Amino acid sequence: MDIIVENLVQVWDDGGDGVRALDGISHHFRSGTLTCLLGPSGCGKSTLAQIVGGIETATSGAIRIVDPSNPAVPPAKPGRCSVMMWQSLNLFPWRNVIDNVAFGLEMAGVPREARYARARELIGMVGLRNFEEKACSQLSGGMRQRVALARALIMDRPILLMDEPFAALDAQTKIVMQEELTRIFERMRKTILFVTHAIDEAILLGDEVVVMTARPGRIKEVIAIDLPRPRTQEMVGTKAFGELYDRILHLIREEVLNAMRQQDEAVL
Amino acid sequence: MIPSGRAMIGRGWNGRAASGRARSGRPAKRRRDPLWMRLLPALSVVLFVAAWEAAVRYGDVPPIILPAPSSIARYLLAMIADGSLPWNLAVTFMRIMAGFLVAGVLGVLVGVLMGMSKVVARVLDPWIAALYPLPKISLIPLLIIWLGTGEAYILTISAITAFFPVVISTYAGIRQTSQELVKAARDLGANTRQIQMNVVIPAAIPSIFAGLHLGMGVTIILVVAAEMIGGSNQSGVGWLLIRYGQVMETEKVFAALVALAVFGGIIIKAQQAVDRWVAPWAVGRS
Repeated sequence: MDIIVENLVQVWDDGGDGVRALDGISHHFRSGTLTCLLGPSGCGKSTLAQIVGGIETATSGAIRIVDPSNPAVPPAKPGRCSVMMWQSLNLFPWRNVIDNVAFGLEMAGVPREARYARARELIGMVGLRNFEEKACSQLSGGMRQRVALARALIMDRPILLMDEPFAALDAQTKIVMQEELTRIFERMRKTILFVTHAIDEAILLGDEVVVMTARPGRIKEVIAIDLPRPRTQEMVGTKAFGELYDRILHLIREEVLNAMRQQDEAVL
Repeated sequence: MIPSGRAMIGRGWNGRAASGRARSGRPAKRRRDPLWMRLLPALSVVLFVAAWEAAVRYGDVPPIILPAPSSIARYLLAMIADGSLPWNLAVTFMRIMAGFLVAGVLGVLVGVLMGMSKVVARVLDPWIAALYPLPKISLIPLLIIWLGTGEAYILTISAITAFFPVVISTYAGIRQTSQELVKAARDLGANTRQIQMNVVIPAAIPSIFAGLHLGMGVTIILVVAAEMIGGSNQSGVGWLLIRYGQVMETEKVFAALVALAVFGGIIIKAQQAVDRWVAPWAVGRS
């Protein structure tokens, strides 16, 4: 699904003039690509993902979700064709692994046999076979991530929104999860919006990196990542990767300095 | 020096490894305490009773003031043998269960309704705010005028008292449901009703359990108190206590107290076991 956002503005009510989180975001996220939203914290990248997912409603602006192979079909409503993988995962602690994964199908009224069969497939795909009956509290951080990923994938929606899902993981587990996601993406070719503040992660995963400015969030620059797929961790050491890294680092540093200056001014 | 945060997590105040979760997110390994440490609770009771026995025996205390543990034990056995203690305990137990059941069911139901509907919450809030701090024992004269001194009065006073902690905890638990979990469920296609049943109520279970524990505690108190004040059916441990107290049979008063304490302990432990069985994930969170 193509996601076309036009002039999105999000203002949070703070009792006064409001806080401008997003200030005129326009972009065309192409079907079947993985776009990384990168920016300093507070730049509104999570908000953007939530608006695309229909979880938040924008103050103004338009968002259209269309099937590029079938342009005659009217645009879909945000939320109907996407699913979010949350930064805090938001697994249901009172449900075991398989009932967490099967949650969406259960709500849709899919009979137990059918939804368990599908859930088992996905649990196997994310490498958690034989953990179906475990309580989520018995799992390690990386395993909980896999449950959350399977729970999102089971919805079989064309758009997958990922809000810094790997931010809380240790470095080793993060590498494994990034490779896993790359593998799944290269196989399923969903449209993915991946929110992150890690430059190397954005380059490694993304077809495109959207660098955002500090608050109010605008798009500073869109950088195409033309590294070949399948992507592997070894690419991190290549010259092409390094050049992209330096270029993005330069952009981000400007924004972080901007943000700090703004904060200083606010304090003075 | 202030201990590092890492050292403090997963340890009790006295440095013993607390059951819980290590930072890694895996369940922490529970180390068994040495034998003498595990025997300490029993040892503490035995030493206290021995000291009591010695003090009474060699300190020449009149048994009407403080009987020796050994003679309390003799009376206790006699009261078990003649059936008076088991029967009155059973009566008290039935009254506690009846009061707790009424308070628990109504309390959870009203708490959930208040949590789900703003209208219900607004309507009931002034009543709960006004009645909760009222000492429920002060309702006893009124209840006796209305209901007499029979079972209805005992049931009502214990259920009214236990209702409030249950309702308040349930309502708080429902309101404190993580909005993130609600959003996640909605994103996965759940409608409002499904969210209430599958997210809001399970999320409130630790609070509901906490309320039910408080409710059980006050039910026990109020049933025994009601048996002492005006219980006309001449039964129950509260009635035994009053009767023996009035004729200064101190050994029997103590025997009834011991039975009541053990009995209360068993009820609370059983309730915890039920919690673990119903919702293992909720235990230790409330």
